[in-house]
Amino acid sequence: MAKKNILTKENIIHLAKLSNLQLTDEEINKYLDQLEQTVEFIKNLDELDTTGVTPTSQTTNQSNATYEDGEINEQGLSSQEALKNAKNKKNNYFNVKRIM
Amino acid sequence: MDGFKPVIGLEIHVELKTETGMFCQCKVGQFGAEPNTHVCPVCLGLPGALPVPNKKAIEWTIKIGKALNCRINLHTKFDRKHYSYPDLPKGYQISQYDEPIAVGGQVILNGKTFRIHRVHLEEDTGKLIHLGEDTLVDFNRSGTPLVEIVTEPDFDNSDDVKKFLEELHTIIRCLDVSDADMDKGSMRMEPNISLRIMNHESRIKNKEIKLPKYKVEVKNINSFKFVKQAIDYELERQKEILERGETPVQETRGFDEKKAITYSQRSKEEAHDYRYFPEPDIPPLTFSNEYIDSITVPELPGQRMKRFVETMHLKEQDAFILTREKQNADYFETVISKLKSSHSNLNLKTQNLEQLIANFIINKKISIDLPIDEFIKKTIELQTPKETDENALRSAIDNVIKNNQKVADQYRQGKTNALMFLVGQVMKEMKGKAEAKVVISRLTEILK
Amino acid sequence: MDLLGFTITKIRELIEKKTISEKEVNEYFLKRIKKYNPVLNAFVTVVDNNAKGIPLAVKDNYCTKGVRTTASSKVLDDFIPPYESTVTDRLTKKGFSIIAKANMDAWAHGASTATSDYGVTKNPWDLSRYPGGSSGGSAASVSSYLVPGAIGSDTGGSIRHPASWCGIIGLKSTYGRVSRYGLIAMGSSFDSPGPMTLSVEDNALLLRHIAGKDKFDATSSAENVSDYLREMKIARKLVVGIAESYLEGVDEQIKGRFNEVVEIISKMGHTVKKVDLLSPKYSISVYTILQRAEVSSNLARFDGVRYGNDRSHFGAEAKRRIMLGTYTLSHGYYDAFYKRAQKARTLIKNNFIKVFEDVDLIIGPNVPVTALKIGDFEKYPFYGELMDQLNEPANVSGIPSLSIPIGLNSEGLPLSMQIMGSYFNESTIYNLAYQLEKETDFFGVVKKGISNYKD
Repeated sequence: MAKKNILTKENIIHLAKLSNLQLTDEEINKYLDQLEQTVEFIKNLDELDTTGVTPTSQTTNQSNATYEDGEINEQGLSSQEALKNAKNKKNNYFNVKRIM
Repeated sequence: MDGFKPVIGLEIHVELKTETGMFCQCKVGQFGAEPNTHVCPVCLGLPGALPVPNKKAIEWTIKIGKALNCRINLHTKFDRKHYSYPDLPKGYQISQYDEPIAVGGQVILNGKTFRIHRVHLEEDTGKLIHLGEDTLVDFNRSGTPLVEIVTEPDFDNSDDVKKFLEELHTIIRCLDVSDADMDKGSMRMEPNISLRIMNHESRIKNKEIKLPKYKVEVKNINSFKFVKQAIDYELERQKEILERGETPVQETRGFDEKKAITYSQRSKEEAHDYRYFPEPDIPPLTFSNEYIDSITVPELPGQRMKRFVETMHLKEQDAFILTREKQNADYFETVISKLKSSHSNLNLKTQNLEQLIANFIINKKISIDLPIDEFIKKTIELQTPKETDENALRSAIDNVIKNNQKVADQYRQGKTNALMFLVGQVMKEMKGKAEAKVVISRLTEILK
Repeated sequence: MDLLGFTITKIRELIEKKTISEKEVNEYFLKRIKKYNPVLNAFVTVVDNNAKGIPLAVKDNYCTKGVRTTASSKVLDDFIPPYESTVTDRLTKKGFSIIAKANMDAWAHGASTATSDYGVTKNPWDLSRYPGGSSGGSAASVSSYLVPGAIGSDTGGSIRHPASWCGIIGLKSTYGRVSRYGLIAMGSSFDSPGPMTLSVEDNALLLRHIAGKDKFDATSSAENVSDYLREMKIARKLVVGIAESYLEGVDEQIKGRFNEVVEIISKMGHTVKKVDLLSPKYSISVYTILQRAEVSSNLARFDGVRYGNDRSHFGAEAKRRIMLGTYTLSHGYYDAFYKRAQKARTLIKNNFIKVFEDVDLIIGPNVPVTALKIGDFEKYPFYGELMDQLNEPANVSGIPSLSIPIGLNSEGLPLSMQIMGSYFNESTIYNLAYQLEKETDFFGVVKKGISNYKD
């Protein structure tokens, strides 16, 4: 049974932090409503009996897809190619503002 | 620890020495390479890139699990572990959550059992370098296969931890799946440390009823010696806090080698919400029993040591030293078997051949860097009774006495240990080409 | 030479016969693109392809090496992939070339193309209406013959929906049939690349070229790639199922025309029978929960460090889905939401497997309404997910489904239906579609659409 939760503003701010998103006050309030609506989507799943059912993570039953160690690297990039799209770089490194 | 019982668990990360990545074909282990020269869309986390797992990395994880006496799960999968950090290109790490490759093992050391909670496989992150205002990121290391070994909190002192880690290090190297080099970061250790208050009740029962309500993780420890220091410091620190009636903060701390202290990293106190869910880009893995059985584990250092003691009658200490590195133990055994088979007719003047060879190796009398045949040659040389050149000996003795009159006099006056000095000088002059017994006998004669 | 309306198959034939050169073909389409794209806004980027190969448009979420790829989001405004997606790589190796990166809902989030950061694409049938989405640019460009064919991606109906609203043929391939390597991930366990074309034959032809195991995609299937073109033409009599639950909430005109087509199918000698399928509403729930979770995860990599712009450049819809996904996965909710949905997914999958024991195909309407007017999007709060309710079951289960035009409504807007098949059975789908095409010419819809856009 899914529990109905009353989300708080703090919850939304926390979720935004986890999502690495900066939200405006307006957006925070908007999400407060919208997230609750997620619960609505679950409600009709309660109508299905899922006891003993194995979850599906792979719809077409693939398994054991691996590659052999040491294969030639067909996808390798030069450091130039790797850094081409970066806006901040220095001496072949990607550059971010100093992390404390 | 009066009134307190340390509760210590360990988390160890081992970088596998596969040729290519956990999920891509970039070369790994390129320590010291130019930054961002071993990257591809997958390990850079470019849009649209997809991971394909490395078969050997999986095999080697099973091998480690088996070596640690774990149960190998026949059904296993990868999961996404989410957090934000610049060295984590996808914003999540592909790791394993609730269905790891191996669970429930143990390592027995000196009669004590230390349980292994789990062994799982994941990918390493890139590397950050802090330089002034900048934090520079190199993704060469990103995507390297990383095995995580988690023990149960079975340790209650830092000595056991040190011994365990050293043993684990030896086992990993014996399996030849990793260099386990702490300087290069291919083996990393993080102890989780807390103290249980032992009240009257718990002392009587001495059972693990409840674990302490907090634990402190210590990161950034680069050697076994430092692990012991870090734990000892941390236990004291926590004891003081608990004695004040407070609870130590649950946190991650760093270790300062110079000061031998741990320090708070002031990272977020909130528990991480990794939002694990099964990795949709990698179908789950199913192993057959045949496959698991086909992954063999060589004779482990502990077993080998036991065999050396029991069948070769080596001293335990010597057996221990010889079995720390697989190649040394292999060399030793090859020498023994060669000597026994092809030189059995030689009178090697010894009761315990194995112990003799062990001594040569451990005392570095003969170098194990030599090719095996050379080693054997030298052994024979050392053991075959030498014919001492009496003339050369006589002139050497005369020389030595002449140059060391004072010492010779001391001996004559009754200082018996002065003799050994003279013997040593003669041996030096004879460049070892004299039997010690003979030298002593001649010298004493002449000195009379 | 007047190529107007020529299929890929026909163009290829003409090139092989040397009746026309690749250069002429490309110049022809480029001219039309220059003329009509400013009006339709079907493309984010028009590509200089050296006038080689048969030109196609690909949705702008396929990474094309050296060619800007944006997923219609400002986050990737200046992103130039250093590598090629498997789909475009296979196409370019088989005599095709990419002449345009097609507009889409940003990150493929939506069913209108209105969430694109580069403006909405107009429906060629009525410029005041949406083309559908998220592969709106691909659909519009094929319908108006700016290109003879295009590639889209279908996660929750994103090929079939715009194919429906623009009156063309669009296939959601079986999940794992076509490699996702290089396709900017939206819902990793749902994303299915597929061709969008003017004829069934063209669709089969393109699928044959892009399908097949890819060692760079662990979810791609090693299942043999059928000879779709040959199998499509075999005279077969098929057993076709229809589920009541798929007719609910559908516009009367769509239902009406669908029933007429069912009659035709019967008359052609196929067997039509009722089947019992779980209501599509369960698929909406499963899809919404799982897709949001996967989306929030897949978008975590966009931090502006290695490429693109930082996360403040995400549009409202993307932010919304990320927040919802994070919520779904967050501590304490995983079991209640995510795991439940995965279990329900198994039930839906098994339901289809069971039904396909009795029928070769399942048919039904795939969109409840025809093309909406631009601006109406805001009126429907769950626009995207509800609009796709009839399409979502195929994504949830992974089975293939083809959208085909079945006429125009009283406002002259295209009507459609979908043909669903069992896993990796695109051949059977094409077989019925091809027969219908021959029988009805899809009621002249495709031709009419192109005729609105003269050279």
